[in-house]
Amino acid sequence: MANAPGPVQDIEFTLNGDPVSRTASSRQLLVHFLRDDLGLRGPKIGCDTGHCGACTVNYNGKVIKSCMTLAVQADGAEIETVESLAGESGELDDLQESFRENHALQCGYCTSGVLMSSKFLLERNPKPTAEEIREGIQGNICRCTGYVNIVKAISAAAHGDKGLDLIERMNREHSQEVRG
Amino acid sequence: MLLAAVDYYRPDTLDEALEALVSTEGARPLAGGQSLVSILKLRAASVELLVDISRLEDLRTIEVADDGAVRIGAGVTYDEMATSPDLHQSYASLSNIAAHTVDAQVRNRGTFGGNLCHNDPINNFPPVAVALDAVMHVTSKNGDRDIAAGDFFTGYFANALSPDELLTGVTLPALDGRSIGYQEVEIGEAAARAVAVVATSNGNIESANVALGCLPIPMRAPGVEAALAGAPTTAEAVAEATASAADGIEPLTDADASADYRLAMASVVAKRAVMEAIEGGHHG
Repeated sequence: MANAPGPVQDIEFTLNGDPVSRTASSRQLLVHFLRDDLGLRGPKIGCDTGHCGACTVNYNGKVIKSCMTLAVQADGAEIETVESLAGESGELDDLQESFRENHALQCGYCTSGVLMSSKFLLERNPKPTAEEIREGIQGNICRCTGYVNIVKAISAAAHGDKGLDLIERMNREHSQEVRG
Repeated sequence: MLLAAVDYYRPDTLDEALEALVSTEGARPLAGGQSLVSILKLRAASVELLVDISRLEDLRTIEVADDGAVRIGAGVTYDEMATSPDLHQSYASLSNIAAHTVDAQVRNRGTFGGNLCHNDPINNFPPVAVALDAVMHVTSKNGDRDIAAGDFFTGYFANALSPDELLTGVTLPALDGRSIGYQEVEIGEAAARAVAVVATSNGNIESANVALGCLPIPMRAPGVEAALAGAPTTAEAVAEATASAADGIEPLTDADASADYRLAMASVVAKRAVMEAIEGGHHG
């Protein structure tokens, strides 16, 4: 039985485009495996309860929380972490550049997860509304900035300069609603 | 957090999965893991072997029958429910509910069957299954059986399955023109939730199923259903008929809300769910 039960398992998967062949403990979480065994420090451990999204990675084309997935479940999968975004010589991709331009991070702890969720959102919905952006990053918690600049950065990456107008309009409408 | 030592096995077929469940003491199916991994982290359950059923193709289909009934495989994720054109066509409200379940990451992993089996009071699909009179399809090495949704949920985090059984799918009956209302009060995870399945004709309610969630066992509200049958589709009539929604329910007090608050909210969410169904159904 190739898949026989055991406390460790041999796993093979694709990580940021490269094949990986390793042994993982059956009880090991994917986030620990990525960080401790493979040395990728992009996925962060924030809450370790599946709430904060700092550990978000892309698994077979969809974002997941790597603290809520076992390393052995990576077997056969294609996994991308935030390390996949920048070019080989370190040049930022459009989304990362937009985060920098729009001051979308302060301490940066949530950023790798937010970037992965934003990228997934834009792959599915290249021209999201501000509301759709907010829903798209619902699984990622930022405790520094609030979300205004994060939403701006994603909107600007999707719509260019018009993206910022969209957000300003939404914020105006929102404050009018609050004032009644 | 480190999980207690546990073995892991990913069978290639449903038969192999059932064999593993019956032959290993402490074996437990693992699907999306969005609840089970939390439980393992808390070491709140002792599991010897995780049987990973998440890739079993037998559990991963959505089938719409000619009469409009829908069979959803237990391993279908919330995201797959949300993005299935078939489900959107036949059961748009359910698809909308799935599209707003928790967040993108959880929707990409969490499964319909896992949500139902786990029966955490905060889970959203148990009261949906009960309101719809869904049929739960169960299999084991000893054969297949069907369980009515009303008999499937047996208590806080508990269901009617024995350890060697697996939920393979759920059949939702044809809606036949009925609409689904789904309303909740979200405090923390969820404080109160109601699901209504309503048929109307010429300004009157022909029939209404009303189920309340955020309870150890999702409950139908027979008194409310009887009062709604034949009532006009007005907000006043619906408010009157749903006023007794808290009768007979025993909600828990937890970090999100007190039992008293949940009792007070039962009629509120029931009324809103019925009105939403009358107005065409849940849009998300």
